[in-house]
Amino acid sequence: MSEITLHELEKQYGETTAVEDVSVEIEDGELLCLLGPSGSGKSTTLRMIAGLETPTGGEISIDGDDVTDDPAYERTTSTVFQDWALFPHKTVRENVEFGLKMRGVPADEREQRAESMLERVQMTGYGEDDPTNLSGGQKQRVALARSLAVNPDVLLLDEPLSNLDKRLREDMQIELREIHEDLDETFVHVTHDQDEAFTLADRIGIMDQGELVQIGDPDEVYENPTNQFIESFLGDTNFVDARVTRTTGDAVYVDTELGTELVLPTDAEPAVDEGTALTLSLRPEILSIDQPSADGGTAADDTGEQLATDGSSRTAVTGTVENVIYRGSTVRYSADVDGTSMFAERTDASTGALSAGDRIRLEWNGADVLAFREDGTRVSL
Amino acid sequence: MSETTSLPQIPTSLASLRESFAGQSSSTRALLLMAPLIAFELLVFVIPFLILLRISFAEPSSDLIYEPGSWSVEAYAAVVDNILAFELLWSVVSYSFLLGVAVTAVTVVLALFYAYAIWRATGLVKTLLLFSVVLPLLTTLVIRTYAFTPLLSPSGTVNDILLSTGLLSESVQFVPSMAGAVIGQVYIVLPYAVLAIYSVLATMDWHVVEAARDLGASRPRSVAEVVVPQAMPGIIVAAVISFAWSVGAYAAPGLLSENITFALHVEELLLGDLRYPTAAALSVIMLLLMLVSVSIMFAVLNRFGGDFDLA
Amino acid sequence: MTSTLHREQLENAAFRAGYGALLVFMLLPLLVVVVTSFSASGRIAFPPDSYSLVWYADFFESTRWLDAFTNSLIIGVGTALLATLLGVLGAFGQELETDSVVGSVVAPVVLIPLLIPPVILGITLLMYFNEVGLRGSYASIILAHTLWATPLVYFVMRSVFSRFDWQQLDAAHDLGAGPVRSFVHVVLPNVKHGIFVGGLLAFIISLQEFVMALFLSTPGTETIPVLAWTEIRQALDPMVSVVSTFLILISVGAIIVAAIATNLEWVSKQLS
Repeated sequence: MSEITLHELEKQYGETTAVEDVSVEIEDGELLCLLGPSGSGKSTTLRMIAGLETPTGGEISIDGDDVTDDPAYERTTSTVFQDWALFPHKTVRENVEFGLKMRGVPADEREQRAESMLERVQMTGYGEDDPTNLSGGQKQRVALARSLAVNPDVLLLDEPLSNLDKRLREDMQIELREIHEDLDETFVHVTHDQDEAFTLADRIGIMDQGELVQIGDPDEVYENPTNQFIESFLGDTNFVDARVTRTTGDAVYVDTELGTELVLPTDAEPAVDEGTALTLSLRPEILSIDQPSADGGTAADDTGEQLATDGSSRTAVTGTVENVIYRGSTVRYSADVDGTSMFAERTDASTGALSAGDRIRLEWNGADVLAFREDGTRVSL
Repeated sequence: MSETTSLPQIPTSLASLRESFAGQSSSTRALLLMAPLIAFELLVFVIPFLILLRISFAEPSSDLIYEPGSWSVEAYAAVVDNILAFELLWSVVSYSFLLGVAVTAVTVVLALFYAYAIWRATGLVKTLLLFSVVLPLLTTLVIRTYAFTPLLSPSGTVNDILLSTGLLSESVQFVPSMAGAVIGQVYIVLPYAVLAIYSVLATMDWHVVEAARDLGASRPRSVAEVVVPQAMPGIIVAAVISFAWSVGAYAAPGLLSENITFALHVEELLLGDLRYPTAAALSVIMLLLMLVSVSIMFAVLNRFGGDFDLA
Repeated sequence: MTSTLHREQLENAAFRAGYGALLVFMLLPLLVVVVTSFSASGRIAFPPDSYSLVWYADFFESTRWLDAFTNSLIIGVGTALLATLLGVLGAFGQELETDSVVGSVVAPVVLIPLLIPPVILGITLLMYFNEVGLRGSYASIILAHTLWATPLVYFVMRSVFSRFDWQQLDAAHDLGAGPVRSFVHVVLPNVKHGIFVGGLLAFIISLQEFVMALFLSTPGTETIPVLAWTEIRQALDPMVSVVSTFLILISVGAIIVAAIATNLEWVSKQLS
């Protein structure tokens, strides 16, 4: 139970900057996920909270105490490592007891606590086993028990699930969530897997090139990415190049590489000028798939844009299906729209199945489109 | 201070020692840990060599082994003159290098072959081959060389066998001779060379050789094209070790040949004639010559390792 | 098709004959040593004309050989302890701070003595120990042998430490163990076999080394190889074979003990 404050945290290795100007308040009892690609500085940030790396700038405080210069063994944090770092020469129980032993807890109490921790992670009966003989999932559980045994104020998880297979990883995510709710402790979880972050997190912090680029509730981050990097990182999407042709009080009109002019409805006066280059994001979930009308569908009512009175704008384009990929529960269609490749997904494969070479019509609401400037910043519409 | 009061202080002082050690930053700790090693190398290696260098620049003395405090290049001049006049020292130095080159050439070829055989062998054969490399390492080189005398002498075992099978009509004097010294010295350095090359081969993927064969390389060719270049780091180590130790060889030439090597000569200068400055100067010159030869060897082998082509 | 097969068989036969011959070359001298130690006559011949244990009896009556034996053991143990201490601490320190300037200088300096002919090292140390007055002590030979043994321990430990999963040290720190306790509880148990092997190597190096010992020893600190050398140069009799056989046995014994010690623990761990 502890709140953590990172203030302008910075870590440099010689010339390279691993973490730059990271400031965040992690609330008491919160489960924060630091999400980012490898090399984004998320693990380094976590290791600085743990005390395993010394920051080259900024401060870390836990519960109001400045711990920036405290070594790892004097902090009340505990880390679950990516490769779990179990001590191979000790039994499972000795591993779990280790932290307590370092704190001078008497042997019988240690044993009791170790037992109850192993029970909590469903590893009862494995106490005398050699950790090197365990499976990945079991090692992960032991590592978790070892960290929980010392009753840390903050539990730090450094991609502990990344070495597990998909199914096991999803089970463990739910278990971790349950343990977090049980303990009501502060967890900081580092991952590069956006599904994992959305499953686990109370809040998600997204890191890119050493900086914390956005932090917020999962739905907020997903709905309102602040820049193009986040949009591309959070999931597959169609990026379409566009250029602003004119703006009105309630819409931005753009020319696109799709060959049609699109309209983006806005609530307020948009902060873009005529001629500005934009990148539009058309997520697959906003695209609805249809077959064009039988007569060939080049008529204006079939493609192009209409601005409705309610502020929404239905827009559609037609193209040719290039390939169809069955992905289990969904089917993904790739289509060539006036020389630009786009994709869309459908959950129901049987109705109106399209195959390569067929014409396809993609329709969306212009209000669902996100737009980014050339420097990656989001255009608020 | 009585014993009873001082006793409990021991754990306390140990704890405070631990505490002060733990208090250091990790780079200071790293330095503290390396300090004994650094001090040792300084006291037993660096300073002694500086003293050797100093003595090599001292004047020889008739009653003392050298004149303390004197500066002179007399010893160097004497050594260099002697070498350049093709006198005794020329034969000593040239013989040492000749021995070094011969032993290195033979050793590297044999070691590569043997290391390859160990690498390819499995089960009991592999164990036996490895055992045959390690066991000689465990024997002092005095004994390793002396065992060749009853084998190679004119009335020795090898001559007996060759004579009785009719391969030879009269006995050959393997020892004492240069050949005997080479055989003895190869025996001394071969285990180290084999292990150096084997340790590199052991990390190599056999599939690479199979791929070469699959692409049409014959067996010797696949070894030359794939195994040798990859084993080059081990071969370099093996060559440098063989060369350095053979140029300075003492036991094998001393027992198995009648030629005087540098090592035997310098012992004579030092313990027989008590000519310290000359011995020191000769040592320094030998070290420099070895350094140059090893650098050349290194450069040549490195080039081979870089792009090795049989064609 | 048949010609390729034929060629492969030829190659195989040549390959086997080649390494078989080398195997004989490697083991024959040792065989000569052991067999001639049982010779009955005073002449070294292989194979001997007749066998007896007279030279073994002589060995146990010779105070000079027994003294040399004791000297060798004292110097060997001293070298093993010193070289292990220096090598292990140095390698660990370097591992903690891989990019330090000092570290990059230490490694080559530690290695160089191995590449310098022992004669030159012997001369250098002889002059040095004369200056500082250590001549004729056990310490002088122990220090000289440590110069050769330390690089071996050091590089064995570097490779052991490089295989060690340093995240374990992070985990230990994270769980509250300070630098000293994390070394004792986590690093040491993982690398103790390496330390043992390093120490054993140092012991064997010292037991076998004779050129430096030849320069530095006095009659009081004469080691087995030094005495053997002196004896061989005077007369070739089977006594040296007897001593050599003992040396081989000690070294092989040490290796076997080491193998059993490391393996027994593994076996007991499997059983529990």
